[in-house]
Amino acid sequence: MSGIKSRPLYAPLHLDPAGRTHLIVSDLQELPEGAIETGAAEVELWLNGNPIAEAAATGTLRKFRATADLKTNLSHRLQRAPVGLRLYAVGTEAFLWDINNIAAAAGLGPGEIFLAQAGSLRRRVYCTHCKTMNEDVTTSIVTCSACGASLFVRDHFSRRLAAFMGVAVDAEVPGEVPTPEVLYP
Amino acid sequence: MRARIAAIEALSPAIKRITLAAADGTPLPTASAGAHIMLAIPGPGRVWKNAYSLVSPPDARDRYQIIVRRVEPSRGGSAWLHDHAAAGQEIELAPPINLFPIARRAAKHLLLSAGIGLTPFLSYLPVLRGAGQKFELHHCCRHAEAAAFTALLPGTGEAITLHSSRNTLDVLHLLARQRLDTHLYVCGPDPFMVAVLGAARDLGWPEAKLHFESFGGATGGAPFTAHLKRSGITVAVAADQSLLEAIEAAGLQPPCLCRGGACGECALPVLGGVPEHRDHVLSPAEHAAGDIMMTCVSRAKTPELVLDF
Repeated sequence: MSGIKSRPLYAPLHLDPAGRTHLIVSDLQELPEGAIETGAAEVELWLNGNPIAEAAATGTLRKFRATADLKTNLSHRLQRAPVGLRLYAVGTEAFLWDINNIAAAAGLGPGEIFLAQAGSLRRRVYCTHCKTMNEDVTTSIVTCSACGASLFVRDHFSRRLAAFMGVAVDAEVPGEVPTPEVLYP
Repeated sequence: MRARIAAIEALSPAIKRITLAAADGTPLPTASAGAHIMLAIPGPGRVWKNAYSLVSPPDARDRYQIIVRRVEPSRGGSAWLHDHAAAGQEIELAPPINLFPIARRAAKHLLLSAGIGLTPFLSYLPVLRGAGQKFELHHCCRHAEAAAFTALLPGTGEAITLHSSRNTLDVLHLLARQRLDTHLYVCGPDPFMVAVLGAARDLGWPEAKLHFESFGGATGGAPFTAHLKRSGITVAVAADQSLLEAIEAAGLQPPCLCRGGACGECALPVLGGVPEHRDHVLSPAEHAAGDIMMTCVSRAKTPELVLDF
């Protein structure tokens, strides 16, 4: 670890017994074993249906064609939902904070939304030079898809942007770029 | 600071509005919506320190206005303000403190009050209206006082509803249909607070969206003694006196702010005896543990308490 203290920490998920309705959303195809103990409570589960490429809705399970679709539906749902809802997000870190920000915009606050990282460690990297988001980065250094800068992927995470900061690795000596390593599989 | 009573108006037989100005005529410190002041009210042989919500607009610096209900039986404070206070008299007050502020992140504010609990919301209204914030106020009162409260609520309309015996408030229905962007504010007598907050929690309202303040204050009870271990003294708490007042009467300066069991400032560790909790701060688990108590409202189940103070 780089000693950056702003990295979010995630506690194991538990259903909040004070909630009246529970919605779990994930960018994974299925919830990892033991991700959340639901017991006998009625829980709605929204998953990423891709690459099935086929939306499905059976009972309390919904599968979306893509996480973008899931997020749009979530936003609509939260604007209509009455108080008492608890939202749980399981998945990659960028997804978690996208969901957190959608929830916050709808008025959810502490005690109403819970996040847990699962699946790939791949990172969304924000180019601090041209402000472009680079999705699904698994390496220590990535070439920015927009401006071509070689970005060092820092451990510095922005909750607002739901992304890690990427800064030019060769700012001192242009062209001197270390070999990228796969650090975030 | 010294203040002068500028005016006293009777709003109903039991409710008076008191206007205060700085004794030296200088502008008063600004308050924020929901703030209260503490008045040092002279009584026979002792001084009552009572907190009152400001009902004047928070940016008014020429006056502080409070509304006081005559409590029966009064411990002294409200009776003095009703029977002995007169325009022109000077009184000591502590500047505004706000333990009941407007939650700025709320998209809608749902305000529920009963009786004299309306007072903090009277300072909210100009601020919420000025900022174009969405709000809904439901005030419950006795039918006999409906006219007095109506007069305090100009612009009663869709956003403001007065509930008395002929138009009772369906709390459960109201709370159940609120959206996720709404914060709830509650102020009123204890049974009202317990009922509303209980209903909200049952419906899954998260604690972060529940805001409440109660100035029921100390209501007295059986006398007991408190041994203050670090100070090395024992104080006798009379039936009509709070533990906080008894400690102050012994010449000590224990921590305190709201004096109504709402802020948590006066918490003291309990080393011996069993406290009788009457506060709104500690959780049920903390009440059961009994190793910390709020001296402003809570009393003792045992004849003696030992406190770490």
